[in-house]
Amino acid sequence: MEINEILACTMFATFIGLLFSGFPVAWVMGGVAILFGILAMAADHWLDAFIGIDWNYVSIIVPRMWDVMTNWVLVALPMFVFMGLMLDRSGVAEDLMTNLARLFGRVRGGLAVTVTFVGLLLAASTGIIGASVVLLAVLGVPLMLREGYSKELACGTVCSTGTLGILIPPSIMLVMMGDRIGLSVGDLFLGALFPGLLLAALYVAYILTLGFLRPASAPVPDDAERVSPRILLDVLLAVLPTAGLILAVLGSIFFGIATPTEASGVGALGATLLALSKKRLSLQVLKEVGRETSKSTAFIFALLLGATGFSLVLRGLGGDELIESALTGLPFGPTGILICILAVTFVLGFFLDWIELTLIILPLVAPVVSGLGFDLVWFTVLFAVCLQTSFLTPPVGFALFYLKGVAPAGVQLGNIYRGVMPFILIQLLGLSIVFYWQGIVTWLPSAAYTP
Amino acid sequence: MQPHTSPSNVDPVHLELDQLNPHTQLPTTPVSRCLDALLQRTGEAVSWVWVLLMAVIILNVFMRYALGEGRIEFEELQWHLYAIGWLLALSYCFAADDHVRVDLLHHRFSLRTQAWVELFGILFLLLPFIGTVLWYAIPFISYSWQTSEVSGDPGGLPYRWLIKSVLFAGFFLLALATVSRLSRVIALLFPARRLATSTAARV
Repeated sequence: MEINEILACTMFATFIGLLFSGFPVAWVMGGVAILFGILAMAADHWLDAFIGIDWNYVSIIVPRMWDVMTNWVLVALPMFVFMGLMLDRSGVAEDLMTNLARLFGRVRGGLAVTVTFVGLLLAASTGIIGASVVLLAVLGVPLMLREGYSKELACGTVCSTGTLGILIPPSIMLVMMGDRIGLSVGDLFLGALFPGLLLAALYVAYILTLGFLRPASAPVPDDAERVSPRILLDVLLAVLPTAGLILAVLGSIFFGIATPTEASGVGALGATLLALSKKRLSLQVLKEVGRETSKSTAFIFALLLGATGFSLVLRGLGGDELIESALTGLPFGPTGILICILAVTFVLGFFLDWIELTLIILPLVAPVVSGLGFDLVWFTVLFAVCLQTSFLTPPVGFALFYLKGVAPAGVQLGNIYRGVMPFILIQLLGLSIVFYWQGIVTWLPSAAYTP
Repeated sequence: MQPHTSPSNVDPVHLELDQLNPHTQLPTTPVSRCLDALLQRTGEAVSWVWVLLMAVIILNVFMRYALGEGRIEFEELQWHLYAIGWLLALSYCFAADDHVRVDLLHHRFSLRTQAWVELFGILFLLLPFIGTVLWYAIPFISYSWQTSEVSGDPGGLPYRWLIKSVLFAGFFLLALATVSRLSRVIALLFPARRLATSTAARV
C-alpha cells in the first residue's frame, strides 16, 4: 500500500472514530480534513511520498465554499425547511388527524391508517427525521393506545411513516442528493414519488391485514360514527389545502412550469397562507419559524462545508480511486457490487444521518455505480429507501430513539423494537420491488416535461 | 427556546426537538454571556432573510409569468440572500449548541468528559478549520475587490467582493462563538484559576 492510501484509510477511520466522541459532525469532518492535509504535507516532506498536497491545494476549500454559496439549486433547501416548519405550526396536522380518524373510524386499524395518511401528507414538513417522528408520535401514539391498539402496532406505524418523509418529495434530502451528484432535482422528486407511495400502500395493507387477523391489536371503537356525506366533506376540507399545496409544488416541477427553487418559494408562501387561513399566523410565529429555519439550515450547511473540506483532502490523498478500485475489484458482478454498496450504506445509517451519507458516501460511490451502467436516479432512490430502512432498524435506528423520547410512559424500547420488525420486512420488500422493477422509479421522470 | 405562551392559539403539539438533544450543561462566563447575546441577536435579525428570500422568489416568479420577463438580478439576489442566511446563522446555531452530534455514547459521558471532548475538539478540529478558511478567504476577497469583480451575467449584481466577504463574516462570527464556548469549557475544567482571579478581584 502506498503512503497516500494508508493516509486515506486512516483519515476515514479517524473520522468514524472521532464521530463517537460526540463532537459536532461538521467540525469533525472539517478538522480531520485540515489535520490530514498537514499530515500529507509532512509525509511529502519527510517520507518522500509525492502526494502533492500543499497549502495551495488546501486553500481550494475557499473557492469550493463559494461554489456552495452561489448554488442556485440549494436555495430550495431552506425554503422547503421553512415550508415544513410553517406547516407544522399551522395546525393542519391535528385537523388531518381528527378528520381522517372519523373517516376510517369503523375500519379495523383505522387509526393506524390515519397516522400513515397524515404522515404521507406532512412528509413535506420533514427531511429532519426527528421532526416528523416526534410530530406523529405526539399526535398518534396516545390516541391509538387510548383506543386499545397494541403498543407494537402504534410504535411501528409512527416510526415507519415518520421516516418515510425523507423519501416523499418535496424532500430536502433529495435536493441535497441531486445537487451532490449532479442530477436534476425534479427527476429525483418524480422518481421517488411512486416508491414512496408504494411503501405507504404496503404499510396500509399490512395494518389492515393485521387488524383482520389479530383484531385485538387494533380494536374498533364502539362509538364510531358511520361515514356520512358530512364527514366526507369535512375530510375533504381538511385534506384539500395541504394536499393541494404539495401537489402544486410537485405539479409545477412536473410540468416544467417552475424550477424546484421557485416551487420551494411558492410552497413556503403557500404554507404561510395556510397558517394565516387557520388563524395561526402571527408575527411571533413568523419570527420563530424564521429562527428555526436558520438553525436547521445552518447545521445542514455546516455539514456541507465540513464535507467539502473532507472530500477535497480525501481526493487529494487518492481516496476516490482507492474506493473505486476496491469496489470494482470485488469478486461480484455489477449487481453484486450494487448490493454491497447498499449493505454498507445500511450499516453506516446506524451511526450517521442522511446528510453525512449524502455528502460523503454518495459522491464516492455514484461514479462507480454509473460506470457499471446503472441509472443514477434509480440508484439514488434505492439509496434513499435503504437509508430510511436503516433509520428504522434496532438497536440504533434514529427514529426509534426519537419515538422513545416522546412516547407516553409505559411504552418500552422493547415494544418499539418489536413494533418496527414487520415494517422492516415491508421495507425490504419495497426495496426489492424497486430493485427488480426499475420502471417504478424511471417512468415518471421520463414522462414528465413532455407536452 | 422561547416557551409558547398563548396556549389557546398556538399549536399544542408543537415540540422543540431541543428537549430530545440534551446539551452539555456548561457554566457561563462573562465572555460567553456577552458573545452569546451578540450572536443570538445577530442570528435573530438574520432570520428575517428567509421571509425576504421567499418574497424575492415569489416576485421573480410573478414577473416571469405575469410580465413575461424574469430578471437575472432577482435570481442572483436569491442566492445572495440564501448565502447570507446560512453563513451568518452558523454561529447562531453553534451558540445554541444545535449542530448535529452522534449521540450514541456522548450523552452517557460525564459532564467533565463531555467538556474534555469539547476542549480537544475545539482546539484540534474546529479552530484549525476556521483558521484555514479565514486565512485563505482574505486573498480570495481582496482579489475580487482589486479586480472590481462583477457578475458574469448581463444584468447581474455588482460588488462581488461584498458577498464574498460574507464567507469571512460567517466564519468570523463562528470563531467568536467558539471562543465563547471555549471559555465555558475552561471555566468548568479549570475552575481553580478562575476562582483565584475572582478572589484576587475581591481582595
